[in-house]
Amino acid sequence: MGNSKLSRRDFFSVGTGAAAAGLLGGRAGAEEGQKQPTSRVVLIRKSEVLDDEGKTDPKILHRMLNEGVAELLGETDAAAAWRQLFSPSDVVGIKSNVWPRLPTPAALEEALQFELERVGVAPENIAVDDRNVKSNPVFRRATAFVNTRPLRTHDWSGLGTCIKNLITFTERYPDYHGDACAPLGSIWLRPEIKGKVRLNVLVMLTPQFHSTGPHSFSQEFVWPYGGLILGVDPVAVDATGARIIEAKRKLYFGYDRPISPPPHHIQVADTQYGIGISDPERIELVRLGWMEDALI
Amino acid sequence: MTHFRLRTQSCLCCLLPMVLTACGAGPRPAAEDESVYLSIPVEVAGWHGTGDWEVYDTDTIYDYIDGHAEVYMAYGLRRCLSRRYAGPEGEPDIVLDLFEQASPADAFGVFTHDRDGDDVDIGQGGLFRQGWLSFWKGHWFGSVYAEGESEASREAVLALGRAAAAAISEIGEVPPLVAELPEEGLDPRSVRFLHTQEILNGVVYLGYENALRFGPEVDAVVGRYQRPDGGAWLLLVDYPDEAAAKKAEGGAIEAGIAVRRKGSRLAAVLAPEPQAAGDGLLADAVGGE
Repeated sequence: MGNSKLSRRDFFSVGTGAAAAGLLGGRAGAEEGQKQPTSRVVLIRKSEVLDDEGKTDPKILHRMLNEGVAELLGETDAAAAWRQLFSPSDVVGIKSNVWPRLPTPAALEEALQFELERVGVAPENIAVDDRNVKSNPVFRRATAFVNTRPLRTHDWSGLGTCIKNLITFTERYPDYHGDACAPLGSIWLRPEIKGKVRLNVLVMLTPQFHSTGPHSFSQEFVWPYGGLILGVDPVAVDATGARIIEAKRKLYFGYDRPISPPPHHIQVADTQYGIGISDPERIELVRLGWMEDALI
Repeated sequence: MTHFRLRTQSCLCCLLPMVLTACGAGPRPAAEDESVYLSIPVEVAGWHGTGDWEVYDTDTIYDYIDGHAEVYMAYGLRRCLSRRYAGPEGEPDIVLDLFEQASPADAFGVFTHDRDGDDVDIGQGGLFRQGWLSFWKGHWFGSVYAEGESEASREAVLALGRAAAAAISEIGEVPPLVAELPEEGLDPRSVRFLHTQEILNGVVYLGYENALRFGPEVDAVVGRYQRPDGGAWLLLVDYPDEAAAKKAEGGAIEAGIAVRRKGSRLAAVLAPEPQAAGDGLLADAVGGE
């Protein structure tokens, strides 16, 4: 916990909604005027979160989540950090990902639900969903979202990212497929979403760094990274994850083999839609835990 | 249109005409399709076909494949036949998918989308890597995927691939445009056949603007070259007519792409290193200085 505590006022003081998300941790920007805002992202890893068979230890995962959120918010106490993010009156949709070959771990969904309830959010005001968010009654009246998914390569967008994870809020996915899914960031500006995503958790337990075949998956191309990347800014979170995937590809293939197609929807979400920060120079990356072969 | 389940092989003969009609499968002869279904054994190398054959069309394919369906759509997907095979205890399931594409050239195009792996003599071209076999034959692109790896599953994947390829009697033609790529310095494994910029973007990213005016009626082939003067991708594009090629030529020049045109064919050099590396390629491809 090397960082000073952020007050709730600091947290929400710059901009609104998703734009403010990019400024979480942007303390430098506000104080000097000339400095551009930054985004704070936490990478937390623990080797023991996965056993030899790749199964997740729910307790360790929950602890990682809490340590990461506390660090993100500059708190020593996780409960206080969660209270910065959510209030008892919130209605919270946990946007998950059900892709069968690499879903959001159930243990993580449960940990998120637990922490939301600990904040005081009523159980009936919490829901986990992916494909049916448009019709889910909790999501339809949500005041806040948690967005979480594993990071993987994707044949059309380059990477399946936190930014991309909200595509199930849209009516027609192909509308967002042009130019390697460049328009994905626009989804975050929809009225039902804008300003409501309070936390992004990019699951890096066993990320996928290459796709193959119609089912886009092979055990060969996932590895036990044992991490989570947390941030309020989805762009900064995804940009950080992308750097890890690029590094892993170079390591695995033995030469520079960029993600294909390029996941430039991350940059476009920054430059065109303004929902966060993609420039690594402006991302304050905090590393916690096991950093062997962190690749970043 | 929803996806069909063909419950048993014995009922396929009566169901298939309905499937063909409902899928809008076009002029494909029913006999050929029946033979594809019926000739694939239920049991292969200790793996047994479970459940039903699934049939997905251009709408329902998105329900089946998340994130990759667009590749098949970009090559005129007609439908996908899919069946799961269960192995002995402790062995992974194997999924057989047969994608019927608009033409043999398109099946070849899908095959070239991912050219990693070791060559295997299956269909009209096969590749095996990390538990996944891909091949093409006639109108069909085949995929045999093991949901885990073992020596036994590897053998079963190959056996099932051979059986599926044998069930397809049709022989297709490699798109003639492929043979138009100059041989000197070409990495044959890099060659891809395509119709859309989205597919090309997976090879060399050109951005959103469709400067080269790709479309379903446009055939293109791209290959990677390494010559003494440097490396580059060479793209050959055949347009329906000269006017279309001229229009594309103008768009390409505007986008800063080095191109040369001959009639309805356009040659373009992409990502040359150094910049001058592509000059010889253009001359070799369509003539001129």
